[in-house]
Amino acid sequence: MTSPASVAPPSLAALRTAAAAAGLTVCASAAWPETGADGEVPALAGFIESNFSPLLAEVAARALRRRAQPDGAGNVTAIVMVTALGDVTSAVRVAAAVDAGKRVPPLQFFQSVPNAVAGYLAVRWHLTGPVVCVSGIRAGLDVAALLIEDADADEALVVCVDLAAPGGDRDRAAAILVTDPASLQRHRTAEPDGKKR
Amino acid sequence: MADAPAVAAAPPARRGSGEVVVTGAAAASAYGRGTEALASGLLSGQPAFAPVQRFDVGARRVRFAATMPGLPELRTEVTRAAGEACDDAGLSSAGRARTALFLAIHGDPAIARAPDADKPGHGPGAFTAAVAGDCGLAEQDIRCYTSACVAASTAIGDAASIIARGHADRVVVAGGYLVECDQFALFDAGRVLAGDGQVRPFSAGRRGLLLGDGVGAVVVESLEAARARRAPPLARLAGWGRTGDAYHPVQPHPEGHGMARAVTAALQRAGIAPGDLGYINAHGSGTGQSDPAETNALRLALGDAAASVPVSSTKSLHGQSLEASGVLELIVTLLAARKGMLPVNAGFLGADDRCRLNLVLGEPLAATPEFAMSLNAAFGGANTALVVGLP
Repeated sequence: MTSPASVAPPSLAALRTAAAAAGLTVCASAAWPETGADGEVPALAGFIESNFSPLLAEVAARALRRRAQPDGAGNVTAIVMVTALGDVTSAVRVAAAVDAGKRVPPLQFFQSVPNAVAGYLAVRWHLTGPVVCVSGIRAGLDVAALLIEDADADEALVVCVDLAAPGGDRDRAAAILVTDPASLQRHRTAEPDGKKR
Repeated sequence: MADAPAVAAAPPARRGSGEVVVTGAAAASAYGRGTEALASGLLSGQPAFAPVQRFDVGARRVRFAATMPGLPELRTEVTRAAGEACDDAGLSSAGRARTALFLAIHGDPAIARAPDADKPGHGPGAFTAAVAGDCGLAEQDIRCYTSACVAASTAIGDAASIIARGHADRVVVAGGYLVECDQFALFDAGRVLAGDGQVRPFSAGRRGLLLGDGVGAVVVESLEAARARRAPPLARLAGWGRTGDAYHPVQPHPEGHGMARAVTAALQRAGIAPGDLGYINAHGSGTGQSDPAETNALRLALGDAAASVPVSSTKSLHGQSLEASGVLELIVTLLAARKGMLPVNAGFLGADDRCRLNLVLGEPLAATPEFAMSLNAAFGGANTALVVGLP
């Protein structure tokens, strides 16, 4: 499935570069596609007609499975979603239904904002930090760094998704799990009992 | 105050040491353009909901919203509000050119119907850059937040955090949502709109939410920078908190755990106790599940103060402005504190035992809260709390 819009596809290299510029350490990473076996994006229950949310969920899951401590070790993890255009496939379908005088599928309501798939991720992986969606990679990494610096999160899952244009390249996504050891050390110093927030 | 949960002061790591203030504000809503029109409409206590004239709602179950007359255009309205907020703050052209814009929107309303080849030019980032250019704001460090109903409040919290840490002197945070046919159709399909044409937060018999036009902008600035250019603060942005529930993709945690943590974080950053709050502008969507969850969050975070602090959800008056809610409702909170009149929680039919709060009912309440809080929640279990204090 493709969407009718495209921007520069998100790449893991771009995310890693932005993370380094923001002073963040990458703990785990993933991309879509990674191998030739990455054909159809796996479906995600409750999300329809667009690859946007399933792709975001898949690449995030890959990164989280590659954590050194698969259970998260009690860390507070923020979810920062980055997308240049958002779920254009869903937006186009809703507009077409509206213009045709039809009702839109109720499930489109729930996936009309990127927060819904973030909520899915939060439940599936017990990510209890803030949920943020911004439109640029640098902004996303700056938000991640700030949340860790302010002790609102110990780490941040930064997921970057944009869909492919018709006849163009494939849908692509990348995810990195980042932290800031210097900030975490300052927090431990400030809270010597090591109390979790 | 008896039996209030202890709110320890924020450890130094949880916020920078700088004081953060709001030096300018501007808004537009169904009550008209300008903060005075907003304040006047709120204090009238008359909800702004009416049958939608802006587009065809013949195929919808619900036909009400709170809209300005005519066909306002989002970029024009957001640009006007951001410019007026800068004017209100007395910000010079040179000062604007050094100030970043954080914009909260659902997206460029044109993207869904633009030709495929043009769609990349209609992304939220391009829209934000265009607004920044129109306003003479900086071309660098702009951000667009699209995190649903906490987009603007998250942007405000981030701006405050950045400024408190000395990473920036000033940020303009703006948000805008104008009721349009696509989101209206989606909310109608989701069966969350109030069929009786009224939003009744925390009330028995509440039927859901209604959408409303909302545009707002604030100039968030370090106290030091404001003093240096002799700009009087409208309010202190004393505390902020953002959290996630990790409970459900689109429903709030029924016990309000995530929102309670956001409230506590905001109080800690403000360095105040629950009993210091003199007003809460609640998220108060008017939906069946959200209002009891928010009530539980306030009980959890505030203890006994949850029963006494005056609360209203002004979504019952101006409607739900989606991504712009956080900035519009922060301005509402700020206006209430400055004018010493707390707006009503309109549409109330009777008590719901799951939503026992000290609601402002009937008429606006004369009070001068030293500190007031604005709450927002969104799909994804996202929660925010912002605390403002009189300067």
